[in-house]
Amino acid sequence: MKLEQLIEAIDARVLQPGSKGRTEIAHVFAGDKMSALLERAGPETMLVTSLANTQLACVAELMDCPALCLVDGAEPDPTLLEAAARGDTAVVVCALDMFETCGRLYRRLYGDDSRRS
Amino acid sequence: MITSCFPIVGGKLDDAGSASRRLKEQLKQIGVDGQIMRRIMIAAYEAEMNVVIHAFKGNLWVRLDRDRFNMEVIDQGPGIADLDLAMKPGFSTASAEAKQLGFGAGMGLPNIKKASDLFEVDSHAGKGTRVRSTIYLKTQAVEQPGGRGLSVQAELCIGCLDCLKACPTRALRVWNRRPSILSTLCIECTTCIGVCRAGVFKIRETGRNNQPREPIAEAAPQTLVIPRAFLTQFGSKIPPRIVLAVLRNLGFKDIRFTEEWEKELRRTVRSYAAEQQLYPVISPICPAVIGLIESQFPSLIAQIAPFMTPIEAAVEACSLRMATFVPACPSQRTLLEQADLSGRLRIVNPAELSGRLIPRLRTQSDTPASIQKQNTRPTRNGSHGPAVLEAWGVDNVVEILEKTEKGLAGEFRILELSCCEKGCYGTPVFEENPYVAQKRWSASGLERWRPVNVVSAKSPYRARTGMRLDADMGKAIEKLARIDELAASLPGRDCGACGSPSCASLAEDIVLDRHPGLECPVLRRGEP
Repeated sequence: MKLEQLIEAIDARVLQPGSKGRTEIAHVFAGDKMSALLERAGPETMLVTSLANTQLACVAELMDCPALCLVDGAEPDPTLLEAAARGDTAVVVCALDMFETCGRLYRRLYGDDSRRS
Repeated sequence: MITSCFPIVGGKLDDAGSASRRLKEQLKQIGVDGQIMRRIMIAAYEAEMNVVIHAFKGNLWVRLDRDRFNMEVIDQGPGIADLDLAMKPGFSTASAEAKQLGFGAGMGLPNIKKASDLFEVDSHAGKGTRVRSTIYLKTQAVEQPGGRGLSVQAELCIGCLDCLKACPTRALRVWNRRPSILSTLCIECTTCIGVCRAGVFKIRETGRNNQPREPIAEAAPQTLVIPRAFLTQFGSKIPPRIVLAVLRNLGFKDIRFTEEWEKELRRTVRSYAAEQQLYPVISPICPAVIGLIESQFPSLIAQIAPFMTPIEAAVEACSLRMATFVPACPSQRTLLEQADLSGRLRIVNPAELSGRLIPRLRTQSDTPASIQKQNTRPTRNGSHGPAVLEAWGVDNVVEILEKTEKGLAGEFRILELSCCEKGCYGTPVFEENPYVAQKRWSASGLERWRPVNVVSAKSPYRARTGMRLDADMGKAIEKLARIDELAASLPGRDCGACGSPSCASLAEDIVLDRHPGLECPVLRRGEP
């Protein structure tokens, strides 16, 4: 699914656009532990987190992860956006809380009531 | 081999991760596979962050070998007080500041270990910590075991390494206690079947033209071609005569023995050899010996008499009827499968045919076998005259071929070599002692010869490429040099502990990248 479709589903604001060729998203992983984000980040994964520090961009870059979504309307460190630009990672921020964000993303990715198979 | 060092500054959480980033750039240049890159990045980043969060400064050392990534992260810092505790997922001593940034979940060391193929950590309180991680760059380089006529039940292996030592072409490996066969080197000679105490090796049972559950014979009258030794496998109470009768009852009206073609081959080679200039002529009696020459003694190929092996000639003779063949060894099975172009031929392993016979033989053994009048006059078995050297057993065969290659066998006109003792009587597929089996056959009075034809080989015997190190000769030479150099650095004990049969084989396995993570356990332990 295109990143734009997911952004639309959660009314997110784009702080740093990623490169156009890398915005296909197949999985979403949500978490606040850096180790877990590191382990689950991948080439078609968007990370959803309530963290907002520079290291997020570093993890995304190392793991070839195309997009980061910050929740709760977090104001990211300016260095995060710089690092994301360098690593070609999209950064979006959404005003909703973690639960609401994940719920909407899930519905958009997997449909209304269908279970993830 | 490339060595790099990336310095890490402690405490500076903001621009942490630069060592891992630079490492990634370097690895991208050499084309590391994506999944492997992920694992390396997890290990490198976690290790780097450990230094940043806990220590004053450190270095990320990387050594890139041909087949593996080695990382060593050494820091100067407080060290880890309790390593066991530090390895426990969830345990962390990170600062509140680090935790706020999402670190300090207590997953760092466990994650590095999970991402690594080899992992080590040691630490001195008050001094610092060293984390070592090795990740294999290739995950799969093993050739499939039992490529052709052999099947390998690796899970039965007890790790005795007998097969490793016995294999005449060094085609066996026991990596991680799992025996496997390098099919390019295997000549299917039955040696491994014979030495294995656990029954790991067998003639392969299923093939494209083997339908094991279909009734054998019964329907249309069929030809059965078996090694004579098969009839001698049921003990002294059930002589070959009875076995033969029961086979006929099964519906095999025409029962032939591979030895009929073997005898004719021997005879033909004798007259062929009389006209040859190049001595000795090698009789293609045993397909495994042919395989041995083709792969290990290519200079002797011109000396093989240009005829089909007996089992192939038998297939030719039966090509127009339904025939069932019982191979005595994996190499015969492979030849049968190759020769069966029409798909008419049925291949049944000895064990399977025995399984069908045994219930019927039980009822038979009750009827007293008429005691045959035994001919006690010594038969002149194998009296070939001085110019024919008949030899059995793969060790003897190898030794004689080595002599022949050096020109030390010129006194013989013909070599009749078989890998198994007493020819097919000695295949480990059969249980009866080869001498007993042969005697039982010759006492049976069943020996009669029907005329059969020897068939010229359809294509000349050719060298096998299995030993070549590379299709490109220049590269093969380079590899050979590397193998020699590496072999010279190994202890030379040929102990087999690494899973390869000799130090030279280990060097070859490493250079040809046959399996990830190969190394010499003796050197690793630091023994002299």
